[in-house]
Amino acid sequence: MTKKIFTPVSEKDVTRAIVDGFAKQFIEYVESDCLIIGGGPSGLMVGRDVALKGLKTLIVERNNYIGGGFWIGGYLMNKVTVREPGQKILEELGIPYEEVTRGLYVADGPHACSKLIAAACDAGVKFANMTIFDDVILREGNRVCGAVVNWTPVQALPREITCVDPIALEAKVVVDSTGHDAFVVKKLEERGILKTSGYGAMWVEQSEDLVVEHTGEAHPGLIVTGMAVATTYGLPRMGPTFGAMLLSGRKGAQIILKAMGKN
Amino acid sequence: MSEQIDRIPFSFEIYQEGDITPVNLNVLKDYLKEKTAIRVFLRENIYEGLLKEQIEKMAQKMARIRIKEPQKGLLLKDPLKGEVAYEKERINDQAWRSFGILYEGVLYQKLLAEFPLKEKLDERYCSILITTQLIGTWDQNDHRYHLRTSIYGFPHIISIPGLVLAPAKPREFYIKRQMGLPVEILKEEYRGKFLDHEDSRMTEVIKGYIMQALFYQIMENPFCEDRDCRLFNAHWQQEMIHAQLNGKYEFCPKHESILEKIKNRTWNYPFQ
Repeated sequence: MTKKIFTPVSEKDVTRAIVDGFAKQFIEYVESDCLIIGGGPSGLMVGRDVALKGLKTLIVERNNYIGGGFWIGGYLMNKVTVREPGQKILEELGIPYEEVTRGLYVADGPHACSKLIAAACDAGVKFANMTIFDDVILREGNRVCGAVVNWTPVQALPREITCVDPIALEAKVVVDSTGHDAFVVKKLEERGILKTSGYGAMWVEQSEDLVVEHTGEAHPGLIVTGMAVATTYGLPRMGPTFGAMLLSGRKGAQIILKAMGKN
Repeated sequence: MSEQIDRIPFSFEIYQEGDITPVNLNVLKDYLKEKTAIRVFLRENIYEGLLKEQIEKMAQKMARIRIKEPQKGLLLKDPLKGEVAYEKERINDQAWRSFGILYEGVLYQKLLAEFPLKEKLDERYCSILITTQLIGTWDQNDHRYHLRTSIYGFPHIISIPGLVLAPAKPREFYIKRQMGLPVEILKEEYRGKFLDHEDSRMTEVIKGYIMQALFYQIMENPFCEDRDCRLFNAHWQQEMIHAQLNGKYEFCPKHESILEKIKNRTWNYPFQ
């Protein structure tokens, strides 16, 4: 008789394992130190760096996949570029890269993205994917201290059949790393709490510096990183180069860690 | 005649904003002394000595004069916390180099006069700021903001990135850029045909712009129509490089003669 490769388990055991595992983690992360909205390169970088310092960190991602646009570069071509000093982070994460011209480096998108995701996971970041940001939680002085979320498919189906109320997640700090959309900042704008500027023409040479320099607390309790910074402050649009996303994420993390006395 | 001689400034007061490498201030100083016999003082970073509360106020105001949509003009509104934080960081860091924000040039000039240069500006001095920031002014003809190399007045402002970006590069450069050719490759192809950041020719080019500031202050007209004269108001990089580096002469005969008179203090306005 041939020995079976896998241990026999029943379907109900599989279901219990999924539900138990998800519920246990979800209950634990209903309240976190750092709640990051958007699992692209800047959000992953913030998450990785703060989790390494022991912060309880949850990334909410509306898609099934994590990584945002970091899988591919411009025009759906799967090479990603970074400019000096962005390659130092690639090195730190063990991502192979080549120098194209002086100060410009190219890496394989899937390799870079999967390594960054793995680095965030290894640091202890947890994820709520297929979860969409719906609203902010505000406390005294309009301080942001959490987010209201729902399943992504709920928003993709007709309302008559998906009348599902969202739920709330609380955190000491919330990060908007939702890219050009700047969903969290825009929600504050809808409420008349702040006013964004949209983004200007594409100007890669300068926009990378400006994105990093403007990364920080846009409103009490809310850190903005990555392309959401450009939208918030009306900075020039970025081209398909990711150094600023990684460095902006790192700066966002440093600000959070400093505020929490963990630097 | 003595009245006109009085319009010759007592000194050039040259300030810098941020790290203005590759400009060599000592070369500029020697040139101006040689050319005009006017004293030259290289002043400290323009924000040196500003008090904390002045920096706070200035950062608030500076954050309000950003031009975010050049076609729409200046939209005055309360700045975001992050914008003010950025300005404070920039003012406090004397080695600040990065740029990319476009500021309303006339209001920028006004803020400089209101804060760091308060009580330092005077018609007797030709006060010039060489900045690492971008400034623009509204053009009534096409109803939009344009980047500027310089804005003359009190103080005169000369923008290093403005010299690189305001005068247009060759048309083909932009066409090829739109076709997707990387800027690094295009810079190589058009090397020498436009001024670039960190360009070793920057000091030489700035000499002409400081002279434009001087002529603005004395004659109320900084420009000359002669393409070979350093006072030519260049709109293209090619024109700027020609006027500042490759012209037939440094100044046209008319302006050379005025400079001689300034140097020798034999002023006879309006120089007939």
